[in-house]
Amino acid sequence: MKKTTILTFAILGLMLGAFKNHSGGIYKTNTGNINFFSHTSIEDITADNHKVKTAFDATSGKIQFSALIKDFEFPKALMQEHFNENYMESTTFPKSTFSGTIENMAAVKTTVDGIYTSKVSGKLTIKDVTKDVATIGTFTVKSGVVNTKATFTINPEDYNIKIPKTVSGKISREIKITVDADYRHAH
Amino acid sequence: MKKPIVLIVLLFIIGTALYAYKMYNKPHTDVLNTVAAETVSASAIFAAFDNEEAAAMIKYTDKVIAVEGLLLSKDLSNELEPQIVLEGNGNDGFIRCGFKPVMLSKVSALKDSTIINIKGMCVGLNGSEELDLLADKDVVLSNCTLID
Repeated sequence: MKKTTILTFAILGLMLGAFKNHSGGIYKTNTGNINFFSHTSIEDITADNHKVKTAFDATSGKIQFSALIKDFEFPKALMQEHFNENYMESTTFPKSTFSGTIENMAAVKTTVDGIYTSKVSGKLTIKDVTKDVATIGTFTVKSGVVNTKATFTINPEDYNIKIPKTVSGKISREIKITVDADYRHAH
Repeated sequence: MKKPIVLIVLLFIIGTALYAYKMYNKPHTDVLNTVAAETVSASAIFAAFDNEEAAAMIKYTDKVIAVEGLLLSKDLSNELEPQIVLEGNGNDGFIRCGFKPVMLSKVSALKDSTIINIKGMCVGLNGSEELDLLADKDVVLSNCTLID
């Protein structure tokens, strides 16, 4: 009888311990940052979006982003106008999305403070064109907040973004995208 | 005879250059001093985007829109752009309004569960039914100011 009771408590204890250390659940933010940067010898172009909607599932590693194209703010209003009207056609194609996977989710301990890295890969959609992209994400866990940073480059021509010859020299074919988001446990 | 032609051409070149310079450096829309193109309730603008996004994009985006709605929460998690969330459809639809960092103290002072009036540049509907983790939707306004 005693042995059975001890065994039951031991199993319960193990189960509770497992739950306590379980780092699953959905982590989310609506205030993620995405910057893009184009460098040429003639001109540098940069723009920021601070209202990126993004979430990841800490059990499966699924990660998703949705960013409004018109929400990218440029230092110059004219550049922003050209970006939206001439290149991105943002009234017709209002958002860019990413749907992918944190490949080594098990190594990212979202309940233990620390810095972790994992390959992140998935499908990036811009102007209804979807391409595979992959990069290394850095996940910094501190006091329940999971900060994620990642950079990758894209070629605008891969996404049906046509650059007129007259400004061809001003826009890089390697646009650097930088992602920086603070996720909090959602449920 | 030649001098007046040269002078006209020069004036034309200078005029064009000045116009190009002015256009290149034109400022962003000053939301505070721009009269709102539309005044709508939070539920009405959310319904417009949710029912027919393409038509709402044409009607509302790139314009200063005034919105009245119930303040659900303040989201000050990104110091680069303090934000507030208004009720959109009472379930999974919201109006997300972004402010410049200089507005932080005014935004912080807002009381949750009160009706507030804001105006800002409408930039679209974020969220997607195709992304299961991001199925909740936000009509997004940027460079917002509070209307007294």
